[in-house]
Amino acid sequence: MRTRFLIVDDSELVRKSLRTVLQANPDWEICGEAADGESAVELFKELHPNVVILDFQMPGINGIETASRMSQIAPAVPIVLFTQHASPDLERHAREAGIRSVVSKTNAFPMVGMIEALLGPTNTEWGAGGSAGSTKDLAD
Amino acid sequence: MGDQEQVNILMVDDQPGKLLTYEAILNELGENLIKARSGKEALDHLLRTDIAVVLMDVSMPELDGFELADMIRQHPRFQKIAIIFISAVHLTDLDRLNAYQRGAVDYISVPVVPELLRAKVRVFADLHRKTHQLEMLNRDLRTLSARLLATQDEERRRIARDLHDSIGPLIAALSMNNGMLAQQTKKLGAEVAEVLQQNNQLVEQLSKQTRTISHLLHPPLLDEIGLLPAIKMFAEGFAERSSVKVDVELSPEIGRLPPNVEISVFRVVQECLTNVYRHSGSKTAYIKIAPAQEKLLTVQVCDEGKGMPRTNGAAASPGSNHGVGLSGMRERLRELGGTLEIKSSDKGTTVIAAVPVNKPMVKSV
Repeated sequence: MRTRFLIVDDSELVRKSLRTVLQANPDWEICGEAADGESAVELFKELHPNVVILDFQMPGINGIETASRMSQIAPAVPIVLFTQHASPDLERHAREAGIRSVVSKTNAFPMVGMIEALLGPTNTEWGAGGSAGSTKDLAD
Repeated sequence: MGDQEQVNILMVDDQPGKLLTYEAILNELGENLIKARSGKEALDHLLRTDIAVVLMDVSMPELDGFELADMIRQHPRFQKIAIIFISAVHLTDLDRLNAYQRGAVDYISVPVVPELLRAKVRVFADLHRKTHQLEMLNRDLRTLSARLLATQDEERRRIARDLHDSIGPLIAALSMNNGMLAQQTKKLGAEVAEVLQQNNQLVEQLSKQTRTISHLLHPPLLDEIGLLPAIKMFAEGFAERSSVKVDVELSPEIGRLPPNVEISVFRVVQECLTNVYRHSGSKTAYIKIAPAQEKLLTVQVCDEGKGMPRTNGAAASPGSNHGVGLSGMRERLRELGGTLEIKSSDKGTTVIAAVPVNKPMVKSV
């Protein structure tokens, strides 16, 4: 079964690049895209993605707020914060909101490996509770 | 008189004849003359009108001139009023001293020389008018400078947002494309792989510089997650750029504050650190933000530098960057109802800003 990604970023260019990068893996597919937090949460409920790639600074609610709404709905689904503003403080806030990983937009190269590690052999299906297990993530 | 605004001159005497005489003498000044027949009537006028000069007889029944002067001076609003006594009796030096101690600006004896009285009253009427004009100009300047600071903040926020929205995605896309290419290095020749590697470094530099510019303009974390993380992030970036070691102590119970307070406190800290770097020569800086008492926050920035140059008055010399920075900080704090205190010696400088906040904060133990 292919891994389904929800991409959330207010920049179309970033969404397009993410799509290219993620779809290079034949086992991955993009199930939806959103340009702001509110509609991302709606799509999240509707599409049941396996992974969310989430921007931080967006119009309306920010990525942290968006993530915490998603975590309340399905805590097992890994959320990756993809931001220009990666910092230890932001990571702490991200962790509290249930975000597993923070990836800097300006050095996006390690993202694919990080997502692979996040997915690992664990269950990220909807309805599964708890953390994603032994992945290299912020919850460690 | 021309276009000058009129000021009010209050004449107090229990004898109507004298009031008429003063009126005749002072009429040509073109000011607004008000007559009062008793101390009590004079007080009524004072309470209702902005009076520039009070001309009063010393001896009056009931409330005499000295008593009236005492009452006037006790009221803070009336402290700037020029009081001129006129007296036919009480002409000893002791009487004069008595009058001056009550805040009189002059003591004129009868018979009055009309030209002299007119000239004296004119001086104080003009002084009052000029003081008033200065106060108005000062108020305008304050409003203007507050508006300028707010506009500057808004403009910086907008440019930072533009950078984030326009250049940010381009850098992210470039970085991702490079990442894709990097996975194919086996297919590329060694030279191309080398160029790709260089490109990666260029993108990283570009992103770092854009990020620094954008963060100095407006800290992105400030709006999104608040003052304390924004200060921490700024201090880390500052330490890295300046090689000044920065220690930060922030009380977490402060939480989120109104946006105007957060941006002002952030700018004060930013200005202080800039001064530490540019002027103090200190290799260390310490930032502490903590509740001082309920509904009062103190922001403290210390360094171990050479201290600020001594100047006349509290602010540094006008025209120097230092001075502009300090007055900017003062204006920001004044807008919030806060204060700025600077302690400086050759052992270092400590800037303490006190900021009222509209929520109770429990002092940390």
